[in-house]
Parts: sequence; structure tokens; C-alpha cells
Amino acid sequence: MSGLSPAGGRAALCLSLSLSRRRGALRGFAAGPQTHFGFQTVTEEERREKSERGGGGGARSVQPPGLRAGARLGVNQVFESVAKKYDVMNDSMTLGIHRLWKDVLVRKMNPSPGTQLLDVAGGTGDIAFRFINYVRSVRERQLQRRLKHHQNLSWQEIAQSYQEDKSPLGGSQVVVCDINKEMLKVGKEKAQDLGYSEGLSWVLGNAEELPFDDDKFDVYTIAFGIRNVTRIDLALQEAYRVLKPGGRFLCLEFSQVSNPLLSRLYDLYSFQVIPVLGEVIAGDWKSYQYLVESIRRFPPQEELKAMIEDAGFFKVDYQNLNSGIVAIHSGFKL
Amino acid sequence: VVRWQLSPPQRPLQASAVLRRVSDEHKKEPLASSSQQQFDSHPADHQPGQEPQGPDPSYTGQGSQESEDYESEEQLQHRILTAALEFVPEHGWTAEAIAEGAKALGLSAAAAGMFQSDGSQLILHFLSQCNTKLSELLEQEQKLVQQGEAEKKPIDQFLRDAVEARLRMVIPYLERWPQALSILLMPHNIPSSLSLLSSMIDDILHYAGDQSTDINWYTRRAVLTGIYNTTELVMMQDSSPDFEDTWRFLENRIADAMKMGDTANQVQSTGEAIVQGLMGAAVTIKNLTGLNQRR
Repeated sequence: MSGLSPAGGRAALCLSLSLSRRRGALRGFAAGPQTHFGFQTVTEEERREKSERGGGGGARSVQPPGLRAGARLGVNQVFESVAKKYDVMNDSMTLGIHRLWKDVLVRKMNPSPGTQLLDVAGGTGDIAFRFINYVRSVRERQLQRRLKHHQNLSWQEIAQSYQEDKSPLGGSQVVVCDINKEMLKVGKEKAQDLGYSEGLSWVLGNAEELPFDDDKFDVYTIAFGIRNVTRIDLALQEAYRVLKPGGRFLCLEFSQVSNPLLSRLYDLYSFQVIPVLGEVIAGDWKSYQYLVESIRRFPPQEELKAMIEDAGFFKVDYQNLNSGIVAIHSGFKL
Repeated sequence: VVRWQLSPPQRPLQASAVLRRVSDEHKKEPLASSSQQQFDSHPADHQPGQEPQGPDPSYTGQGSQESEDYESEEQLQHRILTAALEFVPEHGWTAEAIAEGAKALGLSAAAAGMFQSDGSQLILHFLSQCNTKLSELLEQEQKLVQQGEAEKKPIDQFLRDAVEARLRMVIPYLERWPQALSILLMPHNIPSSLSLLSSMIDDILHYAGDQSTDINWYTRRAVLTGIYNTTELVMMQDSSPDFEDTWRFLENRIADAMKMGDTANQVQSTGEAIVQGLMGAAVTIKNLTGLNQRR
């Protein structure tokens, strides 16, 4: 494959890549600890850097194409001018099912009005918008129930009810954090188009080093983003730090399929169809090749669960969607 | 009490933000942690064990760490549910009440995500708390009788008092109790609610002195379960002062049950007498028609 790291021009396609990460800076001419990039080896530094510059970063269900010929493959460069094509690619690759997955995530979260949500790597705002919709409807029902009790009120009670908080969101807030500016821009535009104004903030930040104080958020979500984080353990530790006691960590990510027949079909679809779609729709084969490979490299459900527990979360469990194509991991800071 | 310990925790417990040291826990009343009732007769030292839960589709991990100084997650869950009971009159048996309970303990409302969203765990927790209180009450009474400080009650009086005591525990939540019963009737909740109910009935009958080893064991429990359920339903729509109508209904049902026991015997002896009479009539007819003759 072209566009490899300068460190050694190696493209290791075997799973010894995972070992290389742990061995640190002793490989060939590498400047820092090696990590994987799809089925290749690059240094951690490069992988992260690519996330911060121009292109994409954090978590996307699809790596947006944007690779120029001869340019280095990097998590971010893939995102450069294609933040706009993200949603289209998501829909075509997953046949629109990604919307259902995100719906399940928010339903599982079951947020109540007043919840503070941090959506990391949530670039185009899918989770954030769903959260706002959900909280709005819960809030409406709450206000309606309160109204029902308002029969035969005394003047004093009526005066009191005017002072009550009747805001449509009940104090809920979403902070969308992403490492990539383009994605945030697309998200902001989408929010404007769809009419979301209240309770949204957009922050540029790195999942491994969040620009927030401790004990700030009720829920931390990362949908299709943790796969692109270079040091997952750091991201998990940061998640633990910014959550309030009792707060919930939710992670939606591609995972390993358990069913062998489905696994074969899935592999076929992933390696044959998706890169082609990438070429046709977004004009980039390589990024989608990277995407599919990174899905295969990602730790399976149990391993990710162990990593989440290591970060300090309790009551960690996971729910497979579509028999393992996607899994939702959940943990609590207790 | 069976307690399941999973893989030992490798991470430092000090990292836990909320789980308190067990020494703090013990200062509080032990009623906060109740376990699922077993069929043994002495529900003494209630250590936090399994929660009465329905089937869990996802894969839960985390073993309890009660071997260490800190409380386990189950204990924390019990604390949250106990705190949530206060908010039930306002919010009903829902995840909202659990969220309010979590907030009352200083946790984020997102902690309510630990429980199922239909509020069934809250109800089951409340039920097992009530059952624990009831057995403690009955145990106390039995001790008093054994020490000679109280008279041994006749059995119908004993049953009446036990069922009344148990039903009175529901009174503070009576407005929301129909909702609770309907949730408990949902198929995935039936196993847990049924087992709590049957262990409660078993407790009552045990302390009443039932030592039957035949079919009576089953019939007595079935009858008492029926009495309890019907009295509960009557109580929910009773508007008399201090639920007098309900207790009178209970008294009548228990009296009926007592009579039924005698009646059963009477029916049996009457049945035997009738059968003998019929046999005699048959023989007489055979004689008359000459069929009995040996040719």
C-alpha cells in the first residue's frame, strides 16, 4: 500500500501489530510507540496528528474519503473535505440502519430532563439531536402531567406555578466534542438547518485529553468514535474523570460478529462492497479500506468490557445489536 | 444465601467514587439491604445477596467486592432503591422515582440506568423489604410466646394478624399500588413476584405452626395465598376508616377457610356413608332380581 509511515515503510498485515504497539519505540526507525492503522503500522504520533489537522478525527461510522494521491494515510486527512459526505456515506454503507442503532443508544440512555450529556467524537451531531428530541418529549409529558394536577388552584399556587421552571428542555444540555473542526462545522450547520438552538454546545477537543473539569457530566457517549482513538485506555480514563458520581458511560461501536454464517456474509460485504461504495460516492477507496480494516482490528466485546472495567467503571455490560455487528457497552461511575 | 462471586477485581477499589466502606453501611439500619426470601424458616442475618431480578438479556459482569472493605454494587443498588421509595407517591413505580432516589443519595440521575426501565426492580425490592419486616415481626412474637410473656394465639387469629400486618405495610403506597400489581403481572416479572409471594405465605404458615407433610401443605398455602390476594384487592378500593371493611372481609375469609377444613372431613365421612348406602342398595336390587343367585 502506498502512503506508509516513514518509519520503515512496512505494511504488516498480520496481528503482530498489536504486539508492536506494546513494544514501544524499539522497532526499526520508529520515533515513538507503534500503533496500527488499519492493517498497517504507523507511529502513534502520526496517527494522532493526522487526527488533529484538517481532516476528520474522533468517531465516525465512516471515514470520510479525502485522500489525495501520494498523501499519507492518516486518521484525519481522510476527513479533510469530506465531512459533508459523511452522512451520505453512513446511510449508503449501513443501508440506513445506523439511524436505528443510534436510536437504540439514546433509548437505552433514557435521559431525564436536566441531564448533562457529553457526546465525544460526535461531529455531525446525530446523537446530540436524538438526545434533544427525547428529552423534549419527556419534558412535554412531565409538564402535561403537572398541568393535570392543576385543578382548583388557589391564587398562591397559581403564582407559584409561574415561577416554576417550564423550559422545554428542563435544563438538559449537550456538549458535542470532536477533534476535527470540519466535522463540528458540518454539525453546526445541520443544527441550524434542523432548527436546534437550545442546549447545544460545540467544543473542539481530544478524547484522550478532554478540556473539561472533573465530575461535570451525567452521561458520556461515544458513538463510532472510540475505534479511531489512538489510546483507548486514556479516553476511558478521561471519560471516568469528567463523569459525575453515578454517571453513565455509553459506547456504540462496531464489534465482532459471533454467528459464523453472518460473519462470512459480513466480511464479504465489508471488503467487497464498502470500498467500492467509497470510490463511487466519495471518490476514495483507500479510506474505506482503512475503515473496514480498523473495524476488524478493534477489540471484541469482552476485551473492551475489560478495558472499561480497568478504567474504574462498575456494572459494565454490553448489548449486541444485529448479532454483534454493533455493540453498545455501558458502565457506571460508582 | 447463595452469593455469586465472579472474577476477582483487579482494579483498585479506592478508585470507586461512591461505594462506601462497609463499616459506614453497618451503622445504618439493616433493612436497607434485604435479600430474596428463601424457603428456610429462619430468615435471620440478611446479607445482601441476589436481587430479585427478571431475565437479563445483556451480559452483566462485575463481581461483588464484599470481601473487601467497600460495599458491593448490589448494596449500593439497594440503597438507591430504598431512597427511591420516598418518591413513589409522587412519581409512581417508575424509573423517574429511581432517578430521584439516586439524586437524593448524591448520585447523578443517570445511575437509574442500572435498573430496568419499567420500575419492576423497585417494586420487587419493596416487596422483599416488606417480607423481611414481616418475618422479623413474626419471629419476635414467637420469642415472646416462647418466653411465656404472651399468649399463644388461636390459629385463625394468628393468620388474621399476620396478613393484616403485612397488608398495612402497603398502605403508604396504596394510591400507586394498582400500578405496582399490574407491573408485577407482566410475564417477565411473574417468576420473581410469585416466588416472593410464596415465600411470604410459607413464612406465615411456618410461624403459625404448620408441620404438615402431606397434601395439606399445598392446600393450606394455596388457600392462604388466595385469601391474601383477594384481601389485597379489596383493600385497594376500600374507603372505610382505617380499612375496617378490609379486615372484616379478611376475618370472614379465614373463618370460611377454617370451616372448609371441617367440612372436608364431614364431606368425606358423608361420602363414605353414601357410598356404603349405594352398595347396599345395589346388593338388594341384585337379590331382588335374582342375579345374586349362584346357579
